[in-house]
Order: sequence, then structure tokens, then C-alpha cells
Amino acid sequence: MGLFQTEHENVLRTFYGPDHAAYESVLESLARFLGAEVEPMSPRFDEEGGGIAGVRKALFDQGLARIPFEAHGGISLPFGVYSLAMELVGSADAPTAMSIGVHNMVAEGVFRFGTTSQKESVFSDLISGRKLGAFSLTEPTSGSDAKSMSTTAIREGSGYALNGSKMFITNAGDADLYLVFAKTEKGHSAFLVDRSTPGLSAGADIPKLGMRGSRTSEVRFEDCHVPSESLLGEDGSGFEYAKSMLNGSRIIMGSICVGIALTAYRKALDYSKQRALFGQRLADLQLTREKIANMRTEITSGRLLCLYASRLKELGLDHASEAAQAKVLSTEMAARVCDQVIQVYGGYGYTDSDVHRHWRDARLLAIGEGTSEVLRMLIAGKEVSGQR
Amino acid sequence: MNIVVCVKHAVDESELRADPAGKPQLQGAQSKMSAFDRNAVEEAVRIKEKKTGTVTVISIGSGDWKKSLKEALAMGSDKAVAVNSGQSLDALGTSYYLSRAIRRAGPVDLVIFSEGASDTYHGLVGPMTAEWLELPFLGYARKLDVGDGSVRCELALEEQEEVAEATLPAVVSVVSEINEPRYPTLLQIMQASKKPMEEVALDSLKDERVPPVRVTVTDVQAQALSRKRVVFEGSPEESSKKLVDALRRDGTI
Repeated sequence: MGLFQTEHENVLRTFYGPDHAAYESVLESLARFLGAEVEPMSPRFDEEGGGIAGVRKALFDQGLARIPFEAHGGISLPFGVYSLAMELVGSADAPTAMSIGVHNMVAEGVFRFGTTSQKESVFSDLISGRKLGAFSLTEPTSGSDAKSMSTTAIREGSGYALNGSKMFITNAGDADLYLVFAKTEKGHSAFLVDRSTPGLSAGADIPKLGMRGSRTSEVRFEDCHVPSESLLGEDGSGFEYAKSMLNGSRIIMGSICVGIALTAYRKALDYSKQRALFGQRLADLQLTREKIANMRTEITSGRLLCLYASRLKELGLDHASEAAQAKVLSTEMAARVCDQVIQVYGGYGYTDSDVHRHWRDARLLAIGEGTSEVLRMLIAGKEVSGQR
Repeated sequence: MNIVVCVKHAVDESELRADPAGKPQLQGAQSKMSAFDRNAVEEAVRIKEKKTGTVTVISIGSGDWKKSLKEALAMGSDKAVAVNSGQSLDALGTSYYLSRAIRRAGPVDLVIFSEGASDTYHGLVGPMTAEWLELPFLGYARKLDVGDGSVRCELALEEQEEVAEATLPAVVSVVSEINEPRYPTLLQIMQASKKPMEEVALDSLKDERVPPVRVTVTDVQAQALSRKRVVFEGSPEESSKKLVDALRRDGTI
């Protein structure tokens, strides 16, 4: 079954009216590429624990990283179309989607907060895929409470000296450019650090439960000297930048989870129509049908909330809560759906890595880029404080 | 060099399922550009990139058939002609209307078809169109060399390989091994919508030679695959020997 289905056409019609046909062509073409070149590789990426660099590069060549940006080489399509594109990538291979999603979060940071020079050079390198980005916020002892970070950037001559350590960094090792958050005299600031900078080193790959195709490791900074031009935007505004970037990226992580869940669900649906027991198909048993109905409903609801948050972002409206809601709902939904998929497969689901890898992949995204707990704090905080 | 490529918006055979009676379930089945036609478009664009000129892509169809034309434009074709059929045509009728659309599109040096449609694979429309156009036809080309006034083809035929040359203008069909079709980038997909696409009604192409529909497909049945379900028992050595003996008896090896 192709990755781009009538349900995608219908959602484009619903959200984008007369523009839907142009967006449909883009997503259909992307889906064809993903189906031929990426999806067949996905089980191998999981088994071998890496290897996505080639397909990631091919997707950059296709223009995936250019989709949501309206200048400096971007294609200028709505964020919701980008969100659906990343759902399709998530359907084809989740680690590739996550790697590109993180990379694009860095690109968005440079696009929105960078200097003219950074937009013309660094941003162009990022959206073309000539350089791979890594978002470096979490530390070994500070994740959800990112403000308590201990990495420092001390003024030295005409630049800064970075010291500290960042943990669980997606794309570390492969990345050419690290967006690093550190404390300066003025508060939290963000720096664009080239991989070749002396004092920067990536640790060994960290073995993971899922998302095994992508690389994750610690990144250390020891007297890592960077010029003043490495500072992104204003000194002391880094934390606000991080929050803003994460708002967009949380929608994308939700969309990737919709894609993961959809692929797993389709496998289970096909299997349930083939597997016979008690003289009938598994799909004809009432308890299986309940699972099918629940999975289908949850996937649709996750997608719609991701698209709603995307539309708010497109329209320039506050979307921090909705982005958090989309991520909480979709990531937890994907873990539930993939768990039910294993249940439909029974023993084969528990033992076949091509079935249980979807659950393993989805599980990460309820932790990364804001745990479900922190996001619930954000959502409830806005409700209780009357900010909405 | 003016090149015309004829493409079919065909049922996506990889999506097609048969019902228990063996009937293909066409309702809800998705369609796309016939897989082999992407090779034809790719070859035309490559020739254009080497020699300059234009590539016009033509398709007869209905419903969402313009999607295939848009894809061909995104791959590098310059303009498209969408012939709205509105009726069922046989190969003779399709080739007649294609020949009329090709003539209408202006002077042409080379017309490229694929070896056959990926859904029906009759392979009739290419050579029939050449007949209507009264142009030479070379079929199943796996390599094309377009020179001044002629085209030289390496033909991949069932029993032998041939090298043949035809004067231009000519009609050729190409096999899938001729090239690896490109995937248009997302930007090219967006830009394709700005390229010219003319919609033409079937009736506007008619002249006095219009053929009646003589062939109607009355039934389509999926091929039934039956398995012998033979089990060879014994140790690996014994069972493998039995398997080889059985394959020899069947003439498989």
C-alpha cells in the first residue's frame, strides 16, 4: 500500500481548500520516493543500528528541509504541509524522520533568529542538506529543567569559550553544526558551533531501545573557542529561542508519531485479515474490531491536532499549548497503537522486530523534546493562569 | 529537437487487489503514471538536455489523469496536452487520437512511447500510432542515439538483440532498462504547475478517418497461482535429493 492515501488527500482538502491540489502533488511525489527508496531500508536500519545518512541526504536533495521556509531558498509551503510530509517520512522510517526533524528545528532557529550573514550562509547550507544540524540543549543532569544547565560561554577576547557537556544529542557524530545553549553573563544564549572547532568532541553512540537508525551521543565542549559571529541572535535570549523552536518541532514529533502509528496499524490490519482462527479471520472477531476501531480513531485524532497546531503557527497565533497537546496526544497515542499492534500479532508481534520496532521507535518521542510530564505542566499552567 | 512523449495514467498495479472470485477491485484503486512511461519521459528529457529542444507530453484519459502529466512536467518536460477522452477507447482509437494530438502539437522529430502500459501491457498503441502518423517505428529500444536526421536504437528483443536505424521523424518505444527515471524535487513539483498544460476535447481531434471502437474488454480475471504443496521428508541430504529429482522430473532444472 502506498504511503500517500485518500485520507491524506481528504485532510488536505479539509484544511487547505482550493490549494490542496498543489500540496497533494508535492506529498504524493514525496511519498512515492519514500516508498521506493526509504521504507524498504527501514528494517535494516533498525537491525544494524544506523545507516540512515544516505537516505537522509537523498531527502535533503529532494528538498524536504526547504518546505516550511518562505525565503533564502525555501519552498514556502504551509507548516501543515510540512507536518504531513514529516508524517509520511515517519511512516517510511522513524529514525530518518526524527533526524531530519531535529535538523530542521536548527534551521528554523537560524531562519528566525539568525543574522543576515547567518541566514545567507549557515541557513542555506542547512536547508540544502550540505550541513547537518544538531540541537544541543539537554545535559547529563538537566533535561526537563533545561534552565538549570551548567554549560557556560565565557567572554574571551573577541569570542566565547564554551565548557560543558550536552547529552542525548540526536545527529551527534554526523552533525556538521551544533546549536549549543550555554549560560553567559546575560543569561542563556545560543551558539552555532562547527564540528571542526577545537574542543568539541562527540562521544560514542549510545545504544537505544528504538530509533536505532539515528545516532545519539554526548557532545563535550572543553575550552571550545568560538567567534562572536557564532552567537545566534541576541546574547541572553537563547532560552526564549529554544522554547520557540521547540513549539514547532513538537508538532513535527507528533506528526512523526502519527506516521509511525499508521504504518504499524496498516500492518496489523492486513495481518488480521489473513490470520485465521476459530474458523474465521482474526479481523472478524469482535475484540479485534474494537482494537481496529480504536487505533483508527486515535490516529485520526492525533493527525488533526497536529494540523490544528500547525495552522495556528501558520497564522502567527500562539500555539505553544496546542503544540504541546499535539505532541502529548500523538506520542502517547503511537505507543498505545503500536502496543495494540503487537497484541494483534500475538507471539509474532513480540518476536518479530519488524513489528515491535514501531513501538520501540514511538516510545522515545514521549520523552525527547519535552517529556509528556513537562508538556502537561505547560498546558495546565496556561489553563490555570488564565493565559488562554 | 522536438520530442513528444505519450503517457498513460494507469491503475497502480502494486495497489491492486483481487476479490475472492479473482476480479480486480478497481473501486478506490489509485492511479499513477504507468511505470514504464517514466522511462520514456526520462529518455526524452535526457535527449533534450543534450541536444536542446522541447519535450511535449501527451495523455488521453479522464478523472485525475492530469496528475501523470504534471509529474512528467516536473521531471523536465516543457508542456503538456491533456486529451479528455470521456469515453472508453480501444488501442486503435487511442492511437488514432494520439496521432491527431501529436500532429496538432506541431512539427515533431521523435515520438517516444514505453514498451507497454504497466496495467494492461498490450504494447499496441505505440506501433499503431506510428502507422497513423505514417512514420517509421522501432520497438523495445534499450539505447537511443539521436543523430542528425536519424535515430539509432539497440533493440532488446525476446530472442535476439538488434541494432536498427530509422530516419527522423520516427516513433520509438523504450524498455525500462534504458535508464533510471529521476525523482523530481519538491521544488520542481511546485514549478510544474506553472508550465503550460492545454486541455483538448476528444471530439476536436476527429477527422473523417476516426475508427469505430472494435475491441471491448468484457472480463478481467487475476491469474490464479496454485501451489503444489509437496513435502519432501527425511534428513536434509535425503530431502534435498528428492527435491532435486522432482525439479528435474518437472523440467525446472
